[in-house]
Amino acid sequence: MSNKDTSNTLHPKVADARCQMESGKLNRREFVRFAALLGVGAGAAYAMAGLPNPAVAQDAANLPFPADDPDAKAGGILKVAMQVQKIDDPATFSWTQASNQARHMLEHLAMTGPDNVTRPMLAERWEASDDLKTWTFYLRKGVKWHNGDDFTTEDVKFNFERWTDPDLGSSNVGLSSISAMVEEVDGKKRLIDGAIEVVDDHTIRFHLAKPVLSFPEDMYNYPTAIVHRGFRAPLDDSPNGTGAYRIAENVVGDRCILKRVTEADGQPFEYWGGKVYLDEIHYYNFDADNQLTAFAGQSVDAIYDFGVEQMELAKAIDGQIISARTAQSLCCRMRVDAEPFTDVRVRKAIAMAVDNSLIKPLVYPEGGDVGENYHVAPVHPDYQALPPISRDVEGAKALLAEAGYPDGLEVTIDVGNTDGPWHQTVAEAMRDQLKDAGITLNINVIPASKYWEIWTQTPFGATAWTHRPLGTMVMSLGYRTGVPWNESGFSSAEFDAALDEAEATLDVEARKPLLAKASKILQDSGVVVLPIWRPIYCMASNSVHGYPAHPTQYHQFNKVWMG
Amino acid sequence: MLKLILRRLAQMVLIMAVSSLLLFAIFDTPEFKKRLAVQELGGFAVSALTEDSYQSWLAKRGLDVPFHERYVNWVGNILTGDFGFSFEKNRPVGPLLADRLVNTGILAFFVFALMIPLSLVLGVLAGMKEGSVQDRTISFVSVFTTSIPEIASAILLTVIFALGLGWLPVKSAMIGGFSFRELVLPVLTLVIYDFGYVARMTRASMAEVMTSQYIRTAILKGIPYRRVVMKHALRNALIAPFTLIVLQLNWLLSGVVVVEVFFEYDGFGKLLLEAALFPDVEVVQACTLVAVAVAVVSQIISDIGYTFLNPRIRFA
Repeated sequence: MSNKDTSNTLHPKVADARCQMESGKLNRREFVRFAALLGVGAGAAYAMAGLPNPAVAQDAANLPFPADDPDAKAGGILKVAMQVQKIDDPATFSWTQASNQARHMLEHLAMTGPDNVTRPMLAERWEASDDLKTWTFYLRKGVKWHNGDDFTTEDVKFNFERWTDPDLGSSNVGLSSISAMVEEVDGKKRLIDGAIEVVDDHTIRFHLAKPVLSFPEDMYNYPTAIVHRGFRAPLDDSPNGTGAYRIAENVVGDRCILKRVTEADGQPFEYWGGKVYLDEIHYYNFDADNQLTAFAGQSVDAIYDFGVEQMELAKAIDGQIISARTAQSLCCRMRVDAEPFTDVRVRKAIAMAVDNSLIKPLVYPEGGDVGENYHVAPVHPDYQALPPISRDVEGAKALLAEAGYPDGLEVTIDVGNTDGPWHQTVAEAMRDQLKDAGITLNINVIPASKYWEIWTQTPFGATAWTHRPLGTMVMSLGYRTGVPWNESGFSSAEFDAALDEAEATLDVEARKPLLAKASKILQDSGVVVLPIWRPIYCMASNSVHGYPAHPTQYHQFNKVWMG
Repeated sequence: MLKLILRRLAQMVLIMAVSSLLLFAIFDTPEFKKRLAVQELGGFAVSALTEDSYQSWLAKRGLDVPFHERYVNWVGNILTGDFGFSFEKNRPVGPLLADRLVNTGILAFFVFALMIPLSLVLGVLAGMKEGSVQDRTISFVSVFTTSIPEIASAILLTVIFALGLGWLPVKSAMIGGFSFRELVLPVLTLVIYDFGYVARMTRASMAEVMTSQYIRTAILKGIPYRRVVMKHALRNALIAPFTLIVLQLNWLLSGVVVVEVFFEYDGFGKLLLEAALFPDVEVVQACTLVAVAVAVVSQIISDIGYTFLNPRIRFA
């Protein structure tokens, strides 16, 4: 079983992984990620890998945050341009921005860092059973709520019970870990009796109906912030968290002001996570298109993000452009139950006529990775490259002729630009390439909100998917038979079985070929043209230090300082 | 006059009733309700909702009630001063609207304070000597500035004065509280766009007055030219521009969306746009009522002002 330090008994898989690392099958970085997944503290994992630990604190408390900068200066206000949203109930957050507003007040059991490694946060460590159906979380001791209460397993239990309450409508029910704790009774999903076992004040065990690999990663999903056991929405009315900051003011569409917590219930508040430097964090509402100009005018110190189309402007502005490699993508997917895409030859012809390696540099000249028409990215720890795909226009024409379209085909793709105008650019590049194969692609550009109404129904649509830390996660959410987000209607027993096997395999090296098998099935089905893994860009002024770019745009400002 | 005012007010109430009923009907469609759900819960979350969960969400938001019932309730609430609740901004519509109207009022005040004297002076100067170099120069500048879209002048001014010279802030979000400096660029943008229009109207009106017989008589009588212009021509020449200026109130209320959005200035136009896109139905409704009220009231002011400027005009 896993452990918090190397002196105690480790999960047997850790020893296996260490052997693989020593024999060269696993690189050191992958070992650290794997060990962290098994509940080994990051400091210990780095030590076992024989690596210095420049990015993460190595003290006894085993903190998930970056190490303290010896030059760091305390004080100051960090002003960030971002949409300021409603934050009534963290369990029903719909957007990353809302979770960022609450992130420095409400914390999570685990934390996935900018390096895509998930580490214990409010949990001190965790253990998984060999069959991945029982997960035990050991909570960090000495964590205090802002009202002076101790953080205990009662808080965690309260949150899990809320997330699975059908009347609350939390999207957390869709997470692999949570969905494995619910059953459907009379058409309503409810928590399975005995799924949560409180062992003591700081130990809680979850019994799952099926193996789940991504439990720790799920615990850093944006609606899984842990609220106090006495929480009643709205959050703004009674802000109470375990974080170093507390929301002092939240005006939707205007500003969200967080101030450092100095006392809890009349006593000095000692934050469990070590030093923080900023006195206050201010979010000011700026639309996505206006954030960069607001930054240029020095109205703010940093921005949430900017689009690739603004890169030249960003380069002209004095400041740091910070980018992150991600598994965020655009899936141009075809519904397998809508004509003409019911014919696999048509889908494959479209995929064959598109050259992803040309589209990526055209749309994202800097950063990012070329997609290979399946939903696992090079940044995922369980990614294994399949044989490279190449454009084959003649092959596409032959397939079309075989499918009964010898004179070509006309199809329409719905594009909502939900993630920026680059979606349209991708569609336009596809249109030009498809023309060579006799395929006329019409681009139907619709408002983003309209696109989200039809994204699962449209026969051919371009949908943005966000980053998830493991390769298995989106494959399971988006392509497994019958799941709500299966927007292509793809259904393959062989794929499901391969994915099941991959998801039940903790050992990342053993999981890679299993996931590759599922990836190959998806690629061969031609349901998706996935040309790009896009990078994300944000910007901070030169006076901001330690500003991290996170692949899911989650803000973590504990070690950020102004100088 | 009283009859006119009462008739206009009755028209206003009728327009308000019809437009709000239409808007309620439009926003009651399943598509709009779904869009609202998408905005509040997110596209991914909505697609994962069961029909039961979606229905309970509608019930929680009060959207499961037939629209005519909601409309009657809404009208009843309006009569008690309750404008409803904003889904998007998460606060009562009344105070939200008041804040935004104050902001737009401040913007409009400074635009008017700059634009009216500028356009009237230039219009009168141009119209005094029709066809002169002075007239042609002013006319060219007026047509030129009015033909540049607001967004173009906003970008140009921002690039020069904010990003280039660094004299002024880029945005007008008033992060640190009210700031005159942040108001300069939106005011300038609006003045540049609008002054030429009013100046052209003033010029046309002035030119027409200057060719009238009574002005010619006054000049032939030997009255000093300045006195002819100031005492005899100006008052008559201002009738048409006065109407136009009062009607600019409408434009400044809801027609300046581009400027408010570009500069992130939290005014009425930006609120209306955001609410329409969300779709935040009760905010759109309240904004519509205000826009109708301002349109009708400005028309009434224009009519009353007309009678003062030209006593020959009487309304039946």
